[in-house]
Amino acid sequence: MLKVLIEKELREVFGSLKFTITFGACAILVILSFYMGASNYSFSHAQYEAAKAQNLKQMEGLTDWASLQNHRIFLPPQPLAALVNGVSNDIGRTIMVEGRGELTAEDSRYNDDPIFAIFRFLDLDFIFGTILSLFAILLGYNSISGEKEQGTLRLALANAIPRTRYILAKLISSAIALVLPLLIAILIGCLILVILRIPFSGEDWLTLILIIITGLLYACVFLTLSIFISALTHRSSNSFLLVLTIWIFGALIVPRASVLLASRTVKVPSVDETTAQKSRYSSQLFKEDKTKMSQFKPSDIDDPEIMVDEFNRFMENIADERDEKMNRFAERINEERSNKLRERQKLSLALARISPTTSMTLAVTTLAGTSLMLKNHYRDEAARYQKSYGDFMKEKAGMNPGGHVMRIKMMMDDEEEPEQINPSELPVFNYKKASVFSAAKTASLDLLFLVIYILLFLTGSFWAFGKYDLR
Amino acid sequence: MFKTLIKKELRAIFNSPKFTAIFAVCSLLMLLSVYIGISEYEQSVMQYQTTHELTEQRMSEATAWPQVRSKAQRAPNPLQIFVGGLSYDIGRWSIIDGESSVKLRNTHYSDNPIYALFRIIDFAFIVQFILSLFAILITYNAINGEREYGTLQLVFSNPVSRAKYLLAKCAGSWLGLIIPISIPILLSLLLVVIFKVPMSGDDWMKTLAFMMVSLLFFTFFIILGVFISSLVRRSSVSFLIALLAWVVLVLIIPRTGVLAAGQMVYVPRIAEIEGQRDAFAKDKWAVHYNKLEERWRDRNAESGNCAADDEKIWKWMKEDDAARKNMEIEIEEFYAKLKEDYRRKKAVRERLAGTISRISPASAYQLAAMAITDTDLSLKNRYEDSMNSYRTQFNDYISEKAEKSGASGHVMIKISTEDGFDVSSFDSDETLDLDGLPRFEPPKLGFEESLSSAVIDFGLLGLYSILVFAGAFNRFLKSDIM
Repeated sequence: MLKVLIEKELREVFGSLKFTITFGACAILVILSFYMGASNYSFSHAQYEAAKAQNLKQMEGLTDWASLQNHRIFLPPQPLAALVNGVSNDIGRTIMVEGRGELTAEDSRYNDDPIFAIFRFLDLDFIFGTILSLFAILLGYNSISGEKEQGTLRLALANAIPRTRYILAKLISSAIALVLPLLIAILIGCLILVILRIPFSGEDWLTLILIIITGLLYACVFLTLSIFISALTHRSSNSFLLVLTIWIFGALIVPRASVLLASRTVKVPSVDETTAQKSRYSSQLFKEDKTKMSQFKPSDIDDPEIMVDEFNRFMENIADERDEKMNRFAERINEERSNKLRERQKLSLALARISPTTSMTLAVTTLAGTSLMLKNHYRDEAARYQKSYGDFMKEKAGMNPGGHVMRIKMMMDDEEEPEQINPSELPVFNYKKASVFSAAKTASLDLLFLVIYILLFLTGSFWAFGKYDLR
Repeated sequence: MFKTLIKKELRAIFNSPKFTAIFAVCSLLMLLSVYIGISEYEQSVMQYQTTHELTEQRMSEATAWPQVRSKAQRAPNPLQIFVGGLSYDIGRWSIIDGESSVKLRNTHYSDNPIYALFRIIDFAFIVQFILSLFAILITYNAINGEREYGTLQLVFSNPVSRAKYLLAKCAGSWLGLIIPISIPILLSLLLVVIFKVPMSGDDWMKTLAFMMVSLLFFTFFIILGVFISSLVRRSSVSFLIALLAWVVLVLIIPRTGVLAAGQMVYVPRIAEIEGQRDAFAKDKWAVHYNKLEERWRDRNAESGNCAADDEKIWKWMKEDDAARKNMEIEIEEFYAKLKEDYRRKKAVRERLAGTISRISPASAYQLAAMAITDTDLSLKNRYEDSMNSYRTQFNDYISEKAEKSGASGHVMIKISTEDGFDVSSFDSDETLDLDGLPRFEPPKLGFEESLSSAVIDFGLLGLYSILVFAGAFNRFLKSDIM
C-alpha cells in the first residue's frame, strides 16, 4: 500500500506544472552555478599565474640574492573555492615575504575587483541556502492543507490506510521528488567541470560529494518543516505564509542578526589598534638598535674588508634579536585580539546555529576549505614558507636580508661581471589545505544539527498529522 | 466609478490575511535593517576615530620629519546605513608617506571575516529581495484571481471600460502597497533621527532620492505581478511564473551579467601591476647604485683618496639624495601610468557589466541606490585620487620642513683605517610641531553630483514599469473575461 501511495504521489508531483517550473528554475541555477564556478576558477587561475610570473620576472637581472629584499606569494585559487566561495573572496590573497617579520595578507578579491562585490557570485552555498530551500518550501507547503482544500485527503483516508502510513508516503515521495531531479542537475554540473577541465583531484571529488549531501540534507530540513507546518494549518495560503516567514528569518535574518548581537556583547579591539601598538614597539626597537650600532667596535681597524664584514654580521645579529623580540610582542598582542575574536565567533555561531542555514553554510565552507579558518590557515602556511625562504637566503646569500637589515656593500675595483641569480631556484610556495577527513570531522557537528532538525520536523509531522482534523 | 474601483481594491488588499502577514514581516525587516545599519555605522565611526587618534599620536612621537607617516582614512558615510554598497569591501585606509604609493588596505570584511560569511543586510537588500517578492505575492492573482472567483464578470456587468478597470487595478494595488510601506520607511527615518546620526542637508536629499528609487523599483514589481496575472488564466500558474521571473530578474541576471563582463575583458590583478612597478623600480635602483659607485670613485679621486671634510661630504650626500628623489619620482610616475591603464581596462569592464546586468531592474535599482548614496564603484577611485593629491601635499610639506631642520633621522657610518668605525645619527629628542601639517580631507559629493550618475537607472526603472504596464494593458484589452 505504501508503494501505491508513493507512486500516486510521485505521479501527481511529476505531472504538475509547479514541479516543472520550480525544478526547471532550480536545475538552471544549479547548472549555472557550476558553470560560473568553473569559468570563475579559470579566470582567477589565469590572473594568479600572470601575477606569479611577474613576481619571478622582477628578480631577473639581480646578481646577488641578498639584494632581493622581498617578493610576493599568493593564495592559489582552488576549484572548490570557486564552487563554495565562503570567505575566499574577502580575505587578502597576496603576502609580501621578506624573510623576517609579521606577515599580512592584502588584496582581497573584492577589494581588487569591487565590481564582483556588488552582486557577488552565484555559488553552491547561495543556491542551497536561498534557492533550494525556497523550492523545498514550494514543494511541501500544501502537501496536507492543499489536499484538504481539494477534498482529496478525506477520499484517501476513506481507504483502509493508517494516518502514519499516509504521511510517511507523503514524506518519502516529496523527498524523492526533491532530491532525484536535483541530482540530475548536479550531475550535469559535474560534467561541466570535467568538460572545462577543471583540475579536480580525487579528494576534491569526495569533498564535492560531501558538500552535495550537506545541501540535500539542508533541503530536506525545509521540506520536512513545510510538511510539518502544512499539517498544522488548514489553509494552504496560511501554511505558505507561515513557512515563508520562517524561511526569511532562518535563511536571511538569524545568521546576520546573531553576528551583530555577538559583536555588541564581546568587544574586540580593532586591527588598527593592535597594528599601532606593534608599530610603536617596532620603532622603539629600531631606536634602541641605533644606540647599539654606535657602540659597534671592529676587532681590526686595518682591513676595511674585515670591518665591513664584521659590521654586516653584527647588524644581522641585531636584526635577529629585534625580530625575536618583535615576534614575542606581536604574538602576545595578537593573541589577546584573537582570543577575543574567537570568543565573539563562538558566541555568534552558537546563536546563529538556531538557523539550519548557518549549519549548512558552516559545513559546506569547512568542507570546501573556505571557512572562517581560511585566513589563519593561509597565514600559517605563509609563515612556514617564510621560514624556508629565510633558510634558503642564509644558504644562498650567507644572510637573511629581510626586515630592514642595514648592510654595507664594498665597492670593488675589479670590473668582473658578476653572475646573475636564477629565480627558479627560489623555494615554491605550496599551499596545502586541510584534508577532506579533518574537514569532514569539523563539519560533522553541523551535519548532525541538520539531521536533528530533520528528525525533529519528521516527528512533528507525524504528531501533527495524527491529530489532524479532516473536516 | 474609478474611485469606487480603487476603494474596492484597497479594501480587498487591507482585509486579506496575506497582506497583514507580509506587511508585518516587511516592516520588521526594514526597521531591523536600519537598526543594524545604525549600529554598524556607529561602530565604524568609533573605529575611524580610534584610528585617527592613533595616527596623530604616532605622528607626534616622531623626532625627525622624514619619520612622520600619516594614515588617510575613508570616512564613514551615514548613508551606508541604508545602502552598504561597497563600503565594507573596499580598504579603509592608506599609508601616506614618501615611500609607499597610495593603496587602500584592510577591508572591513577581511578584518572580520565572520561578517563576510553572513553579509550585512541593508535596507536596499530588503527592498531588492523581500519587497519585490512581497509585491509579487500580493499582485500575482490580481486579475485571474478575480476571474476564478467570477467577480471579473460581475464588475464588467457595470458600465466600466476595460482600460479604466486595469488602471484602477494598478492604481489600487499601488496605493494599497505604497501607503502601508511608507509607514516603516518613515519609522526608519525616525530611527535615524532618534539615534542622532549626523546627516547633512545633502544626505537627507540623497536619502529621499534613495527612497524614491526604492518605491519606483517596488512599483515595477507591482505592475509586473498584474501583467503576469493578465497573461495567464490560472492564478496558481501565474504565481509560479511570477516567482520564476523574480528569480531570473533578482538573482540570475545581475550576477551573470557581471561575470560575463568579467570573462570578456581581462583585467590583471593589482599584485601583477605592482610587480611590474617593482621590476621597474629594481632596475632603476640598480642603475642608481651603479652611478653612486661611479660618483664616489670620482669623488675619492678628486680628494686624493684622503678623507674629505664634513662639509664636502654633506654636499655630496645632498646631491645623492636629490638623485634618489628624482628616481623615486620617476618610479612613481611609471606606476601612475600603469595604474591609469589598469583603471581604463577596469572602466571598460564596468561599463560592459553595467550594460548587461541593467537588463534587470534589480541591477538598475542596486546601481542607482549605490550611486545615490556614494557607495558605488567610483568610491575607490574617488578616494585614491584625493589621497594621491593629499600625498603630494603631505610629502612636499615634509621635505620642506626636513630641509629646514637638521634632524633627518639618518645614520652616517664612517669607516677609515685610522679612526676605525664611527656611527653617528642625525637625531634629536625633541618632538615636532605638527600644527601646520596638512590633514586629509575626505572627498564629499554634492546631491546633484551623486544623483546625476543615477539618472540612467531612474530612467530605466521608469521605462521598464511603463513597458510592463503597456504589456498588461495590451493583454487585458484582448483577454476573455469569462
